[in-house]
Amino acid sequence: MTHKKRKATELHCAAKLYARECSEGKLSRREFLTRATALGVAAPAAYGLLGLSAPAARADTPRMGGTLRIQMDIRAQRDPRTWDWAEPANVCRGWLEYLVQYNRDGTIIPVLLEDWEANDDATEYTLMVRQGVTWNNGDAFTAEHVAHNFERWCDTSVEGNSMASRMGAIMEDDALRDDAIELVDEHTLRLHLSRPDITLISGLADYPAAVVHPDFNGDPIGDPIGTGPYRPVSYDTGISAVVERNPDHTWWNEGNGAWLDRVEFIDLGTDPAAWVASAEGAEIDMLYETTGDFLGIFTAIGMEQSEAVTAATLVMRFNQDSEPYDNRAVRRALQTAINNAEVLELGYSDLGIVAENHHVCPIHPEYAELPPIEMDRDAALEMLAAEGHAETEFELISSDETFHADTCDNIAAQMRDAGINVRRTVLPGATFWNDWLTYPFSATSWAMRPLGVQTLDLAYRSGVAWNESAFSNEEFDALLDQANGIPDADERREVMARLQEIMQDEGVAIIPYWRSIFRHARPNVHNAEQHPTLEVHYQTYWMS
Amino acid sequence: MLLFLARRIGVMIVTALCLTFIVFYLTNLPAKLETLAKTQAGSRISDAEVASWLDRNGYNQPMLARYGEWLGVVPGWTRVDGDGDVTGRCYRAHGITDPGAAPARCGLLQGYWGESTRFRASVPDVIPPRLGATGLLMMWALIVMVPMALIVGVLAGMREGSRTDRTLSTFAIASTATPEYVSGVVFIALLASSTAGLSPLLSSWGWIDAPVLFQGNARSALEQITFWNFTLPVMTIALYGMGYVARITRASMAEVMTQQYIRTARLKGVSFANIVLRHALRNALIAPFTVIMLQIPWLLTGVVIVEVLFSYPGFGWTLFEAAVNNDIELLLAASVVAVIVVLLTQLISDIGYVWLNPRISVT
Repeated sequence: MTHKKRKATELHCAAKLYARECSEGKLSRREFLTRATALGVAAPAAYGLLGLSAPAARADTPRMGGTLRIQMDIRAQRDPRTWDWAEPANVCRGWLEYLVQYNRDGTIIPVLLEDWEANDDATEYTLMVRQGVTWNNGDAFTAEHVAHNFERWCDTSVEGNSMASRMGAIMEDDALRDDAIELVDEHTLRLHLSRPDITLISGLADYPAAVVHPDFNGDPIGDPIGTGPYRPVSYDTGISAVVERNPDHTWWNEGNGAWLDRVEFIDLGTDPAAWVASAEGAEIDMLYETTGDFLGIFTAIGMEQSEAVTAATLVMRFNQDSEPYDNRAVRRALQTAINNAEVLELGYSDLGIVAENHHVCPIHPEYAELPPIEMDRDAALEMLAAEGHAETEFELISSDETFHADTCDNIAAQMRDAGINVRRTVLPGATFWNDWLTYPFSATSWAMRPLGVQTLDLAYRSGVAWNESAFSNEEFDALLDQANGIPDADERREVMARLQEIMQDEGVAIIPYWRSIFRHARPNVHNAEQHPTLEVHYQTYWMS
Repeated sequence: MLLFLARRIGVMIVTALCLTFIVFYLTNLPAKLETLAKTQAGSRISDAEVASWLDRNGYNQPMLARYGEWLGVVPGWTRVDGDGDVTGRCYRAHGITDPGAAPARCGLLQGYWGESTRFRASVPDVIPPRLGATGLLMMWALIVMVPMALIVGVLAGMREGSRTDRTLSTFAIASTATPEYVSGVVFIALLASSTAGLSPLLSSWGWIDAPVLFQGNARSALEQITFWNFTLPVMTIALYGMGYVARITRASMAEVMTQQYIRTARLKGVSFANIVLRHALRNALIAPFTVIMLQIPWLLTGVVIVEVLFSYPGFGWTLFEAAVNNDIELLLAASVVAVIVVLLTQLISDIGYVWLNPRISVT
């Protein structure tokens, strides 16, 4: 796989992009270093990109022991394949491990696999299962167990089993295809795909893809059979979850982690003010995610901030089944009225990077650079007038979550500046998500996915379940099929350029920025920088 | 007396029925059920999946029938799976799948309180520990509130219109007029922030070792209550109730002090302290006693705000979580508990009133 083969010496392409921006003066040096290291580039290498040498770094050796207390939502637990939030997965990460893992720099590394190979058109994968791994009940981990997990992931009769949507290429009739998995030997299996799919491996890094034992009964807390070095102590939904190092189990990766004795996840509710109060009283060491106005506050009380650039964004999409957004010129006009950089600055406090109205982010390996988009308010109004919509009132709907509302407020303000009539509707979160697929013009937040093609597959392919823009374009679908069959990111980029262009030309959505996400931790917590998909790999954290 | 008790219990049952039906109706509106399905089976599932989830979990029957199921007067729903296993309300309650093995009805009458969807546990497992946590909070709040309120009220009421009276009355009115969500936030800003209020000052003088004077978060009180982590929530609740009780005590005290027998005592040359303590106090405490008992249900609602503000997982916090997550059976059980608490405290207050004032009788 291409995205695995990036060596330590190779740099993330977005890091190079930032280095160029920095030398052109568009980015301050400090900003560059934050972003480059957020992409996983080691600090000396980041300095190297600027032609500087790094300040002498202190060598850090992890120390055993300690209790880490993390503020995080504790949601009700359920079968891993039906997890719809990263939080339940983060608690279980210490014993339920994954076949592969997504890293902060966008690479994917094997965990319970030793390696994998894809053929040239991504229709056949050979998975080499790691040898010497045992479950904490003493069983040896084998290829058969992996096959069992694939079978579980393909079972669509389980409601909310989101793994099934990632396994389409090995499924048939809502279940695993009979001849999809070939057990080569005890530690090797081969997957035969019905169509090319390059996203299969990255799908195995997603949080619902936790690998469970064949005897697993669906309750990861009550029945904690896993391969990892920790085990659950208690789990009280909405209150706390406690995990401790498992003294009765030898972890396959012994010596490379499991430094902490105990991890306590504490749910302090959704109000960040309560988190501040708790952090000030020294009752928590780390916050799962910090946002908005609270970033400065946590820094001020002596916690250290870490940033991860992500492909998460807020999409202001037009539903092309609704009047007047079935008209391409109207959509283009509304896009043209918006300055994305201003939306980022005023609607999201500049906590991210500017996007270009298409859903492929610079941190995606196959991102293609397109010419910058132009904002022209006069032209926007003219285009609307030409279509007879100069007086039309456009309604922009969003949920009441702060950054959704702020971003849409700014977009509405910019539209008013261009002379367009616009009405803002803010709905409470619980109501908003009931109809998120069908609003004519509304804002949806999208989490990031490791490959650029993945979100396009999920949200913009004709007729798929989450296609909230009702976008349907034959050329786009055909190119997307083609891109899905090119395992090499550099080769895929040529097709991606055209896909990105189509999204812009068709005026599918206003996608103003890519969000960075942040985390704060006390200075004595190490290795715990924010992860682009909010993963908490506490088996590698340590405290001094 | 027995008739009185029976009537009170009857009122309690009728009130509980009405209240739970209203709660049941509001939490079972179609949009609410859809939200419930989405929080249970995945936040982005399709409409068809929502319908299938509601169908498979027995939510597709008429509302009255399901209210009857919850009460235990209507047989619980059942459904036969493809492989011959039976599932249904009573089958899940007892964790069995063999056809015919479960009783027909299972509800309140049969002692089955249901399952909390928010906490994934049975309701009787969720509520008692939370109620216990709130009990501790209320106990400390009352321990602080009642003596303070009585002292303030008696001091203010023994010489109506004096400077002491005016000062204490102003304090009492101010404390009652400040709702918990204001005083709580002010307390946190003043006493529990390392960058604002008193703590940075005290810490720079070396008077406190920790960065803050008090904990602005009471989560750790769940394991161990300390002066450090429990002061602010207790003070927030106590202060609000105190002003009201003090005002009532003052009015009652002022009235008693104008009575003939007090004048007589004074003419006989009894000292002022003796008049207040021996002659006025007991009579003046009748009104505040009722008010203090009525404060308990009042506190039970007040703790919703305080417990959420200080993230202290008690009864109020549970009520909040259940409401936010549309946890039907937990909300219903919480309503029943609330009705019982309100009417029990009223009962105690009525009986206590009779004991304090022999002129009144319950019958």
